Amino acid sequence: MPEPAKMRKPDVKVVILGDMNVGKTSLLHRYTERKFKDTISTVGGAFFLKQWGPYNISIWDTAGREQFHGLGSMYCRGASAVILTYDVTNWQTLAELEDRFLSLTDTANSDCIYAIVGNKADLTDSGTHRAEPLDGQTEQEGVGTELQPTGGGVGGGDPAALLQKQVSQEDARALYNRVLRYKGMEDKACPPAERLCFETSAKTGYNVDELFETIFDMVLPSILKKRSQGTPSTIDLEECRVPKSTKAGCC
Amino acid sequence: MSVKAFELVPVVERELLMGEKARINIECLECCGKYLYVGTNDCFIHHFLLEEQTNAKGRVVYLSQKLQQKHLGLKKGVVELKAASALERLIVLCDATIYVHDMLSLEALPSGSAKIKGVLSFCVNENPVSADPFCVELGVISSRRRAVQIYTVHEDRVQLVKELGTPQQPCALSLDGYFLCLALASQYMILNYSTGASQDLFPFDSEERKPIVKRIGREEFLLAAPGGLGMFANAEGISQRAPVNWSENVIGAAVCFPYVVALDEGFVTVHSMLDQQLKQTLSFRDGHILQDFEGKLVLSSTKAVYMLVPLPLERQIQDLLAGNRVEEALTLTEGARRNIPKDRFQILHKRILQQAGFIQFGQLQFLEAKEHFRKGQLDVRELISLYPLLLPASSSFTRCHPPLHPFADLNQLTQGDQEKAQSCKRFLISYLHEVRSCEGTNGFREEVDTALLKLYAEADHESLLDLLASDNACLLADSAPWLEKHHKYFALGLLYHYNGQDASAVQMWVRVVDGVLQDSTRSDLFEYVVDFLSFCPSLDLVWKHADWALQRDQVVGVQIFTKRPVGGDQGSRLNPEDVVTYLQKHSHALLLYLEHLVLDQQVQKERFHTHLGVLYVERVLALLSQTSCPEEEKEALSQARSRLQRLLKESSLYRVQLLMGKVEGSESLLLERAVLHGRLGEHERALHLLVHQLRDRRAAEDYCSWAATACVPQEPPNATQQQQGTRLYHLLLATYLDPDVPGGVDSTAAVDLLNRHGHAFDAADVLGILPEGWSLQLLRPFLSTAVRKSAHAQRTAQVALGLARSENLQLLHDRVSSQPRGGVIVMNKNKVNFHPWHVCERETDRDGERE
Repeated sequence: MPEPAKMRKPDVKVVILGDMNVGKTSLLHRYTERKFKDTISTVGGAFFLKQWGPYNISIWDTAGREQFHGLGSMYCRGASAVILTYDVTNWQTLAELEDRFLSLTDTANSDCIYAIVGNKADLTDSGTHRAEPLDGQTEQEGVGTELQPTGGGVGGGDPAALLQKQVSQEDARALYNRVLRYKGMEDKACPPAERLCFETSAKTGYNVDELFETIFDMVLPSILKKRSQGTPSTIDLEECRVPKSTKAGCC
Repeated sequence: MSVKAFELVPVVERELLMGEKARINIECLECCGKYLYVGTNDCFIHHFLLEEQTNAKGRVVYLSQKLQQKHLGLKKGVVELKAASALERLIVLCDATIYVHDMLSLEALPSGSAKIKGVLSFCVNENPVSADPFCVELGVISSRRRAVQIYTVHEDRVQLVKELGTPQQPCALSLDGYFLCLALASQYMILNYSTGASQDLFPFDSEERKPIVKRIGREEFLLAAPGGLGMFANAEGISQRAPVNWSENVIGAAVCFPYVVALDEGFVTVHSMLDQQLKQTLSFRDGHILQDFEGKLVLSSTKAVYMLVPLPLERQIQDLLAGNRVEEALTLTEGARRNIPKDRFQILHKRILQQAGFIQFGQLQFLEAKEHFRKGQLDVRELISLYPLLLPASSSFTRCHPPLHPFADLNQLTQGDQEKAQSCKRFLISYLHEVRSCEGTNGFREEVDTALLKLYAEADHESLLDLLASDNACLLADSAPWLEKHHKYFALGLLYHYNGQDASAVQMWVRVVDGVLQDSTRSDLFEYVVDFLSFCPSLDLVWKHADWALQRDQVVGVQIFTKRPVGGDQGSRLNPEDVVTYLQKHSHALLLYLEHLVLDQQVQKERFHTHLGVLYVERVLALLSQTSCPEEEKEALSQARSRLQRLLKESSLYRVQLLMGKVEGSESLLLERAVLHGRLGEHERALHLLVHQLRDRRAAEDYCSWAATACVPQEPPNATQQQQGTRLYHLLLATYLDPDVPGGVDSTAAVDLLNRHGHAFDAADVLGILPEGWSLQLLRPFLSTAVRKSAHAQRTAQVALGLARSENLQLLHDRVSSQPRGGVIVMNKNKVNFHPWHVCERETDRDGERE
């Protein structure tokens, strides 16, 4: 079965995970097509190949719906980076990351990079996050810190009205550190939480490029390592080789 | 949606299988080469021969002929059929047992060992690891144990290779290499039967929905996933393609690259693996089985068999293009890269790219169009030919057939919208410009350059001149009328020039300069023509237009001659004599030309110098003769005189007598006369003129310094410049001191001269001729200069003497010390008195020998 010509061989895989309706597809859209448009709920998963310099990076946009939950660990298998996405206006989406999605990443590479991304930042502070501000992350302490578990508020409502921020940066960083602990990576030289916790707005484009570029920069060593080893974790369908009897079926 | 990728073609009608018997259903299918096997629920295997034909309408039809049918002698339905054509065997699953039958006779093999019992389902390994071509590897799901088994089927026996336990009861499987892809009760998994390693894929409730496990290629499987997805997974458990979105109740799936075809209760859906989009939906009721066999898609209801015939790729692509779905068409084309031979693919791909380009061109999406034209290596003439009149009349180009686009020409495309037409033209300009600068323009330089010239001319584009001034292949015959039409006469001249027709070029420009033709490209066209003529290698052309240029403006026109490069080959060199003769009637131009020869080029010819001198003199005399004397004329006169004086002083070639004859008549040209006298060596007369008639002491002194350097001394013949100077100053002094002139001795002037130019005099001589009564005080500066000069000369001489001595001594020292120690000093025996010089001489001789 030939690979479609359009599908170049990806060097590395990045997976976006998160509850339904937090804006995973919109984030990817904003980054790849530079615009925000209405998306329908993703079915199963979608996939985009980003040419980044000399490298091909495949970005998997997963379905957040419970129905497709079982597919998550397949998408994560062999991933070099996982973007855990929540909705800053919805505490529950952050909780879900830990409860439901973190375990899916067990199949990811051992040196996988994790980013915690709070999307829909434009809904909580339209002033700060209007179209592409120049500064980096904006600290917003005091807005949502005391408003912890309220549970289950539905994000993505009327965009005109400012919603209360339910998840603070502190919470996200705390989660990041718990992710590292869960992975047993806390003592390794992992990037600090400040570098991998983002608040973004797919709608205005705020921080979206920074998010993807930071992650691409960080997976670069992983690409180089893979290239130098010459043993891709994905099978090169174009390459005709005799299957080796020693080849293991699992990681 | 709306690609028509497949057509449904009936293969075996109901009558052929079961006639009117209502209870009989199709259970399974196998298609191998031209044979079709159908297993039914009444334990029959039907064997058909299929004949593929193309009917008058170009459609594929199948003629099916029933070869035979065979009852297996059981009461169960036939569950699965697989043909092993290399063994000529048909593998049959019926009543939980696998039987091996002969493929043609359908007879069961006599040997009782050729069967496997307790089988729920099986599959054939299409990518077996075993090298033996005369056996088939089967993956089998045991109905008795939670296990899968690997068997090899030989011509006359079957052999168990391996058995592996599974965590749950498997219900569907597929096999590729060592990899078993299994649907278990609650999940899919990959199992390597060689190592026993397993890999969970994802959960799936096989009791709720029928699982699908379909091998689609080397180590890649297509699986039915929750939510009606078709998931792709490879042997490592990684998904490399995004899933396709089926309905919830998919019964069967098959792959016919680049499409994934799925069957549910009411429809056959076709998704592209390239973009995961739904491409086609066919309504199909009571669908039962959908399978692909060696690229053939076979579909059946419970009663009849059909074939899904893929439409030719090119037709699918053309349909997409007809719907302006450029991206999809290109994706489909590129997806077929490996399915068709390379050379055919390249032709197809290029053509599709070109067509895509034209579609985007029609939509004025020029950026995309350009990219596709470039990638598709479009014959640039296809594009040019869209624009009326741009292709040269001589071009033999005809558009390719079938046409790449539906447009007759630009007018039809834009429907008279001028703005659109303009943007199309701008696009062509930029496109041709790029084509021109990068590749070899596919060898159509004439067409490209001519079209570009026409576009530039029409658009009044500044690059027109750049094009014509640089290397180009514009066709003259075709471009000239076009340039005339757009009044680009200057450009037309350039084109003539580029084509070696300088005469036509100059003629064209002359008419523009004269105002016969209107073209405002260059406001300085006259200067341009003069410049052009000055470099023009054809002398005929120069002589022909020189009159015109000089009549128009002598000062500029004469540049035809003066700016001409001095070098150059013999044929294009002008003879100055001819030019001077020719210029007689253009006096100002003549003057300028002579100045050019004499002053700039410093031609050392008496004729030119004299001629120029005469002209200068005439000019001065003419100005002098004018009685009125306004300021500017004074100015002009002084300028004219200074020019004359400069010539007289600097040149020594002119005929002095001739000029003298002209000047003598005028009382006011004393200075000039003095110089001429000087040239004749008559310095006394000259100084006399200056001192007594002009009464300009300053001029007299200047004369002395000039004459000292410029005039060839008459006597003594070999006097140095300094001696000449001294002689002249003495003459001047004598003139001042001459008592026999009106006014007598001018002692003031004499004293001043001495004091100022003391160094130029021989002090001893001067003291001899000075009047007795002059005080020492009066001559103090002169005397002190003289004393200093003499002292300086003496000391300098002493220093020189001293230096010479020391040099001599040093030399002597070197000679002596360089003599080898203990060496033999050869003495001249004849000389009794030893003297160092002799040693030196001997040594010098020996040195000479050594060197």
